[in-house]
Amino acid sequence: MRADVVVVGAGPAGLAAAVRLAEAGRQVRVVARGNGFTHWGPGAVDVLGRLGGERVERPLEAAGRLPADHPYRLAGEAALRDGLDWFLRLAGAAGLAHAGDPERNRDQVTALGTLRPTCLLPEPAARPLTEGGGRVAVVNFEGFRDFWPALCAAALRGAGVDAVAATAPLPRWDHARYFTGIELAKAIDDDGFRRRLAPGLARAAAGAAAVVVPAVLGVGDGHTAWAELQRLVGAPLVEAATAPPSIPGLRLFAAYRARLDALGVSWQFGFPAIAVERDGDRVTAVRSEGASRAVVTHCQELVLATGGVAGHGIEANRDGTLAEVVAGLPVEGFGNRTAFVADRFLGEHPLGAAGVRVDAELRPVHRPGPRSGSPSGSPVLANVRCVGGLLAGHDPTVEGSREGVALATATRVAQLLAPAPTPVS
Amino acid sequence: MTSLDTDVVVVGGGVTGVAVLRDLALRGVRAVLVERFDLGTGTSGRWHGLLHSGARYAVRDQESARECIEENTVLRRIAPHTIEDVGGLFVLLPGDDEAYAGQFVDGCRASGIPTEELSAAQARRREPLLAPGVRLAYAVPDGGIDSWGLLRSMAADAEARGCRVLVRHPVVGVERDGDRIAAVRVHDRVAGEDRLIGCQWVVNAAGPWAGEIGRMAGVPIRMIAGKGVMVVMASRYVRGVVNACRKPADGDIIVPQHEVAVLGTTSVQVDSPDDITVAPADVDRMVDMCAQMVPSIASGRVLRAFAGSRPLYQPESADGDSGGGDTREVSRTFTVLDHASRDGLANMLSIVGGKLTTCRQMAEALVDRLAERMGVTEPCRTATEPLPGADHGPHRLAAPLAAVEREVAYGELVCECELVTRDQVRAAVAGGLTELEDLRRKLRLGYGPCQAAFCAWRAAGMLAEGRPEGSEDALAGLERFLEERWRGQQATTWGDQARQALLNHAIYRGTFDLRGAGRPDEAAAAGLAPAEPGEGDPTTRVGSELVGESNGRTSSKAGG
Repeated sequence: MRADVVVVGAGPAGLAAAVRLAEAGRQVRVVARGNGFTHWGPGAVDVLGRLGGERVERPLEAAGRLPADHPYRLAGEAALRDGLDWFLRLAGAAGLAHAGDPERNRDQVTALGTLRPTCLLPEPAARPLTEGGGRVAVVNFEGFRDFWPALCAAALRGAGVDAVAATAPLPRWDHARYFTGIELAKAIDDDGFRRRLAPGLARAAAGAAAVVVPAVLGVGDGHTAWAELQRLVGAPLVEAATAPPSIPGLRLFAAYRARLDALGVSWQFGFPAIAVERDGDRVTAVRSEGASRAVVTHCQELVLATGGVAGHGIEANRDGTLAEVVAGLPVEGFGNRTAFVADRFLGEHPLGAAGVRVDAELRPVHRPGPRSGSPSGSPVLANVRCVGGLLAGHDPTVEGSREGVALATATRVAQLLAPAPTPVS
Repeated sequence: MTSLDTDVVVVGGGVTGVAVLRDLALRGVRAVLVERFDLGTGTSGRWHGLLHSGARYAVRDQESARECIEENTVLRRIAPHTIEDVGGLFVLLPGDDEAYAGQFVDGCRASGIPTEELSAAQARRREPLLAPGVRLAYAVPDGGIDSWGLLRSMAADAEARGCRVLVRHPVVGVERDGDRIAAVRVHDRVAGEDRLIGCQWVVNAAGPWAGEIGRMAGVPIRMIAGKGVMVVMASRYVRGVVNACRKPADGDIIVPQHEVAVLGTTSVQVDSPDDITVAPADVDRMVDMCAQMVPSIASGRVLRAFAGSRPLYQPESADGDSGGGDTREVSRTFTVLDHASRDGLANMLSIVGGKLTTCRQMAEALVDRLAERMGVTEPCRTATEPLPGADHGPHRLAAPLAAVEREVAYGELVCECELVTRDQVRAAVAGGLTELEDLRRKLRLGYGPCQAAFCAWRAAGMLAEGRPEGSEDALAGLERFLEERWRGQQATTWGDQARQALLNHAIYRGTFDLRGAGRPDEAAAAGLAPAEPGEGDPTTRVGSELVGESNGRTSSKAGG
């Protein structure tokens, strides 16, 4: 196998980097263990939701005040703005129009009835619950186990929203005893099913000004199912973020994949990258391993988008050390493993912010400290770039910055690696 | 303040107290059991789940060994539904002392414990993951037992026979009338008020906390807190129990329990039964030692670690410095204290020491003594009368999965790891359970590899369905449960489990935006400052409910 640029990882950062590099004219190959955070997250574009636990109102402005080693500072504000603009165009062209203003955060309603701060939201989730006033109905589809309207409505009332809980019957179908959000979303893709579903949903909504439902309104055709069902019900439908798998994330993943296919980017899924081949300070190939065989992919440039510890990019060892799994890049560890985590589960775990330190061109750098052989801050490998959750200096969960960092750093990498250099003979 | 009257107040909702209650019920005595939290929240819920054959004690403590094998046989008869009848092995590793193996076989024979010697090949056929170096093994009738199942069955039987169980009723004081206890004062934590229970007799079955009840009643009972650390692996590894055939030591047992395996255990004297901290070094030692028997444990996924406190009794005659070290020297047998002859307190008995396997026998010995004093002539029937549920036969690991498959009920699962269905949760909620922790103990919700990532909020949603509007911050109970579950994980977060922890964090703090800010945990709710780990001590706290409650108790009317 051979590619101009190998992107390792298919989460928000790897997907964006692969598309942007391909759009810039590079020949790209994606090597991935499996799905990434698109499938696990709330289906929004977080830029900067919280700082020090406090809600951020103006994410772009606040991002500029972050420490100098934060990925946003390294990528620069221009890359972040450009990344968000690019994303809005990509999503819109794929039938996944998003609403929102990079300058201001907004609320995303969740299945637990919390209102999480985020920046851009897919249209089915975007309508503010307080818009126009009036009562909000929180409605589940009968038998769906990943949405509990009583809990959601109770928490919303706690947040000052006039919310009531209800349940809508499901039309007769094949999955009565066994369905997840994905089966339900696929069923709702079907026009006939939607038409049978709508009257019960309308009755459950009982004239509410807005109807909060789990984010399961179709998965195969962008926002079509949501728009159609909303028309049939005659009231605004608002998709609430649920626990994984994220249906909005699946929609977005499908859009990325279609775009990559259109750009001729090749894929190698189910093959985690396990090592690199090197020539001096350059990586010449990536070794990956599937169930049956190992594959070597030669490359000019390597982009690592493997995520932090949560994404499999970094291994947290029993002795408190950390290891970057593909290229053995330096990662600052901890004295012992109790330092990995906080006393409170809902607190801030140091492990969540662990990552690879990079220079202004997103190249991994040597660890500071007297014992490393090379000067601190100099690149470890000349043709390796790191993007997204793998980067040190941020905790995407605690900050609510996952998609913004992914887009900003992917954009920066695409700028750095374009146009394509003359191939090395 | 409300009050009620009964003949006997039993203090302590562990297996001993509940076994005493059932014994009293079968003899027709009116009794009320009071428990500060839920049944099995102390030592009875913080152990490895081993139904002892007694072989572990065969060399050094044959009295305990005999008690164990007798009760092992009885429990299989009266409570088979709580038992995983998996058997056990004692394996001899390279370097283990063969002389000890000889003493072991002799001790088992002398104690009445059947053993069968297996060659290395036979042992590995039975346990394929055993270390290649295992030289030989002895098969013994060890098993697994679900103490919460046992507790529920005994309590249900006692209640059906007219006795009462009051959970969330900590004892806050004892009303003396001369040389007698006239009443026990408890605090109803749900109603938020004290209740006075007038009684003729008091049974102190508070386990490691027996000394505190003794203090309230004005009698000295010297308990030794013997901390045992246990480590939970994400899969079973073994078909049956695997023990090291050597002098009892840290990390010498692997107990398969439902979907997981529990590695045990340490035995260290600590100052307080509420000290149930787990140090990472304890976890490492347990994993490394058990990996000598089953090597794949070394690279396995550790779910969590927890500690319990053994209810070891220090007889007055042996009073003195017990060294503060290894508590394995202290006998595992039990003692009934009659405070009339011992302390001049006419109507209280205490039961101390012992172990879960012998809980029924302990109750029998105590109630025999009490019945004699009360003039009750009805004999003990607990050894022959099966418990409710016994007709289901032994617990089989695959049974819950088979039931789900039969019903094609995959979509009904609230907890995929432990195969808990929506109907089970609904029934439990309809039965009055209001806390996720209670659902966990009743249904094993949240025990599995994902450590409640998905089931916790589903179950919270189901609890919310029946709750009146505005009764509590809707999410506080969920946050409490998540924090409670986390306490067992701080010493075990690395490798795959670190990924799981960060994923769970991304779900609850990321997607659901829970921060726990201003939402107090149980200790804070009780008006107590959370205890901090010792300075410079790399330990983590587990199960702070015990810490919190103990503080509440000692600062109450104990001196009165």
